[in-house]
Amino acid sequence: MSHDESRRAFLKRSSALGLAGVATPFVTSLGAIGEAAAATASDYKALVCIFLYGGNDYANTLPPYDAASYAQYLAARSNIAHTRESLAATVLTPSVALPGGRQYAMAPTMGPLAQLFAAGKTAVMLNVGTLVQPTTKAQFTSNAVKLPPKLFSHNDQQSYFQASNPEGATSGWGGRIGDLFQSGNGSSTLTCINASGNAVYLTGKTAVQYAIGTGGPVPLLNNATSLYGSATAASTLRSLMTGNSSNLLANEHAKVSKRALDTYAQVNGALAGAPAANFPLFPTGNSLADQLKIVARMISVSQELGAKRQVFFVSLGGFDMHDRLVADHPTRIGMVANAIKAFYDTTVAMGVADKVTSFTASDFGRTLQSNDDGSDHGWGGMHFVTGGAVNGQRFYGTPPAIGNNTPDDVGQGRLLPTMSVDQYAATLAGWFGVTPGNMSTVLPNIGNYNPSTWNLGFL
Amino acid sequence: MRRRRWFVHPHRNARGRPSPAPVAITPAQASRFLAQSTMGATQATIADVVTAGYSGWIDAQIAMPRAIKHWDWLVANGYSDAANMNGTNGFDQTVWRQAIVEPDQLRQRVGLALLDMLVIGIDGITTNWRQFAAAAYMDVLLDNAFGNYRTLLDAITTNAAMASFLTFLGNRKANPTTGAQPDENYARELMQLFTLGLVQLNIDGSVKMSAGAPMETYTPNDVTQLARVFTGLSLATNVATTPDRYRVPLVMNAAINETGSATFLGKTVSGGGMAAIKAALDAIFAHPNLPPFVSKQMIQHLVTSNPSPAYVGRVANAFADNGAGVRGDMKAVIRAILLDTEARSDAALTNTSAGKLREPVTRLTGWARAFGVNSPSNAWAIGDTSSTANRLGQSIGRSQTVFNYFRPGYSPPNTAVSTAGLVAPEFQITNELSVVAYINYMSSLIANGAGDTKADYTTILTKATDSAALVDEINLVLAAGQLTGATVTAIRAAVDSISSATAAGQLNRVYTAILTTLASTDYLTLK
Repeated sequence: MSHDESRRAFLKRSSALGLAGVATPFVTSLGAIGEAAAATASDYKALVCIFLYGGNDYANTLPPYDAASYAQYLAARSNIAHTRESLAATVLTPSVALPGGRQYAMAPTMGPLAQLFAAGKTAVMLNVGTLVQPTTKAQFTSNAVKLPPKLFSHNDQQSYFQASNPEGATSGWGGRIGDLFQSGNGSSTLTCINASGNAVYLTGKTAVQYAIGTGGPVPLLNNATSLYGSATAASTLRSLMTGNSSNLLANEHAKVSKRALDTYAQVNGALAGAPAANFPLFPTGNSLADQLKIVARMISVSQELGAKRQVFFVSLGGFDMHDRLVADHPTRIGMVANAIKAFYDTTVAMGVADKVTSFTASDFGRTLQSNDDGSDHGWGGMHFVTGGAVNGQRFYGTPPAIGNNTPDDVGQGRLLPTMSVDQYAATLAGWFGVTPGNMSTVLPNIGNYNPSTWNLGFL
Repeated sequence: MRRRRWFVHPHRNARGRPSPAPVAITPAQASRFLAQSTMGATQATIADVVTAGYSGWIDAQIAMPRAIKHWDWLVANGYSDAANMNGTNGFDQTVWRQAIVEPDQLRQRVGLALLDMLVIGIDGITTNWRQFAAAAYMDVLLDNAFGNYRTLLDAITTNAAMASFLTFLGNRKANPTTGAQPDENYARELMQLFTLGLVQLNIDGSVKMSAGAPMETYTPNDVTQLARVFTGLSLATNVATTPDRYRVPLVMNAAINETGSATFLGKTVSGGGMAAIKAALDAIFAHPNLPPFVSKQMIQHLVTSNPSPAYVGRVANAFADNGAGVRGDMKAVIRAILLDTEARSDAALTNTSAGKLREPVTRLTGWARAFGVNSPSNAWAIGDTSSTANRLGQSIGRSQTVFNYFRPGYSPPNTAVSTAGLVAPEFQITNELSVVAYINYMSSLIANGAGDTKADYTTILTKATDSAALVDEINLVLAAGQLTGATVTAIRAAVDSISSATAAGQLNRVYTAILTTLASTDYLTLK
């Protein structure tokens, strides 16, 4: 598509969305057209956000392993700690050793992800979290800098991680990346795809997220052309579901229905050529794997759908383990490791491993200190980036001190993030094709960081 | 101090004297009122409201006792058999049955609104006999629906299902040996979600600002301190072979209870035990955020997603003082919500930002009540409806987290709704999958039911041959008369495309009228 065609397509879309004449987003998006045109090269890239809802416990996901650090970890949470012996098989050996002899292991159930780390396909982020700007302990304590509002609140920090704003945010950074690229895709609707319902992460200022089921899109009335024996009734049903209304809520509902019905045939038709049976590496009984399987199927038909750049969202809940951490966390985090491994291996089999990057995200990390059988809401956490383009077998960031009220935590082992979500996102966005000049469109607070720190180097 | 008992409607004055007749209520107005205040209107309840008036109907509903508690129904139907100890069998049965058939409909609807705010989900309960624990919690909400919010706070705080769901069952005081701290979960969510919220509010629900930023209600340290109070609450007995211990209030286990002081919200409580919990709840109950915080959400659940500040203020004032000096009187709050001009005036019908998206479970119960759904065997086989791919995307008492299926502040991003600065909470579970799954599911339920849980279309079938009469009745009962003329015309044409010559054809005409109504955006948005 030429620049002009792309621009016409954009203008048409803007008009359909009712944005023409609305000054600010229009102008912003005009700036985006250059980007989109640049992205109409023949390559394909997909960015996959794996959100762990509830706030993942960082300390039992990535336990310290060297003797001195393990002893500090054990002291802080003696009744919920992994045994050191149980970690021996998942100790991580990075290509660049951490300073001070620091070592980490993954949880014992995360063996598949530890394998990917060893193979250089997974990178580990030490202490990523929500920030407004670089923040020291002294600045935190003296209230000297702006902090993300409503720290430690699930819904708000989920939203802040996804959108740089607390609950009520109107667009997220995955969606804002989508804004820049959707005009290069054959169907703009298939730019931001959510396999787990709704998330503000995937909505842009113009890009709209599209929800897909783990089995693909759902057909209305099983594609029957008649309803209760009447073709007229079937067509009336469709028109009443999608008809315009003067009521704002009713009209919005109609738009969602219209997107569902208009997109069904195209997506279902494409997926028919990529049946689930052709994706055998995914484990069963793992809802995250189920979601990543439909993502893999969608990626496999991206060419047919004319998609060049796609942003996906999948999630797993149940991480808010104030209790039963020892009983439940190994299984949950093991599901994550298994699902990521299966997804990566599938992209290898598809020949697109270096075109697809997945990364984990969560509301927040948790406390290091135990509350007897679990941990409480925290801040920074450990995250994983996986894909063929990843500079893996490496730790990024600084190993935090381990304890209560150290220079690196704000009490009870709640980590003060040393890498912000903005930097994490900017690194991912840069790989995806977002230029430095557009980075603050995607990440409004990135300007608070020295540009030399925008790329954390893991891609 | 005001002592005016404004909430006693003249219709029911003590000596039974005739009162001035209120302005006549139309059937459509009555149906709209019932869509806000019940699990679904019926011809009979529409007639009741027209006769008794809104206030009189509310009085009668408040006076109506519960026919049976969820717990007792489970026992009566054999679910306390040991075979059910480790499952949830019976829970969906009793919640659907009660919502659909019980006559105490105002209580049922307020109970659902309370469950949307004071959330538990049966999957998050980690005890045995989960159906009983969850049923006991539902009973707490329904029993206290017309009581005092302060009593309700006591009851949920000492309820086993809530304690398991928010992980304070057996919560231990700090342990200096292990460094373990009290679990903060309940302290945090009690303040954030059940009572106060994160930011300070004016009485009309607007946010108090300081230097351009919202003023926060409490600090992380307030949470840590309050967590010390909610230690020690434990099951009343160790007997696990019957569900009984999940019905009685939790007891204090002094051995794990923090007796030192705790300072939060500028108050200090000390000494531990149930007395400290009572003092802590008293402090929260007295906080100025409570009336607007609870009132606004109750309005959102019952009437409209975007109430005006003045409406919130009127209800919050009734929460703060029922007119007789009582704070937290839910009877006064419910009356203030449902009788307010913003709920009752027909102006909302033409206001483009009025109303709310109907909560999916109320769409099912609305159909079920309108057409007399029953289950002769008491199997009530509707089950878990939370699948977004083939059910409603919502099921009563099955939220996965304490944040419910949808949040009161949710605004569908990048839509005309968010551009207008409005919220639409139910849109949080509305997407390309859910809108289709809902229609598919209802198309099957309408025609086939679920097992022996079926509608009785005998009455409506008398209108099956007359599409105008058929659609008018369905419009009135299901849609509160809010289908536009164009929608009515389209549905009539769809009905008339089916021959009424056979019994099967007449049934199909009824099914078509119902499903196309349920699919229409006129219906989906309750104005």
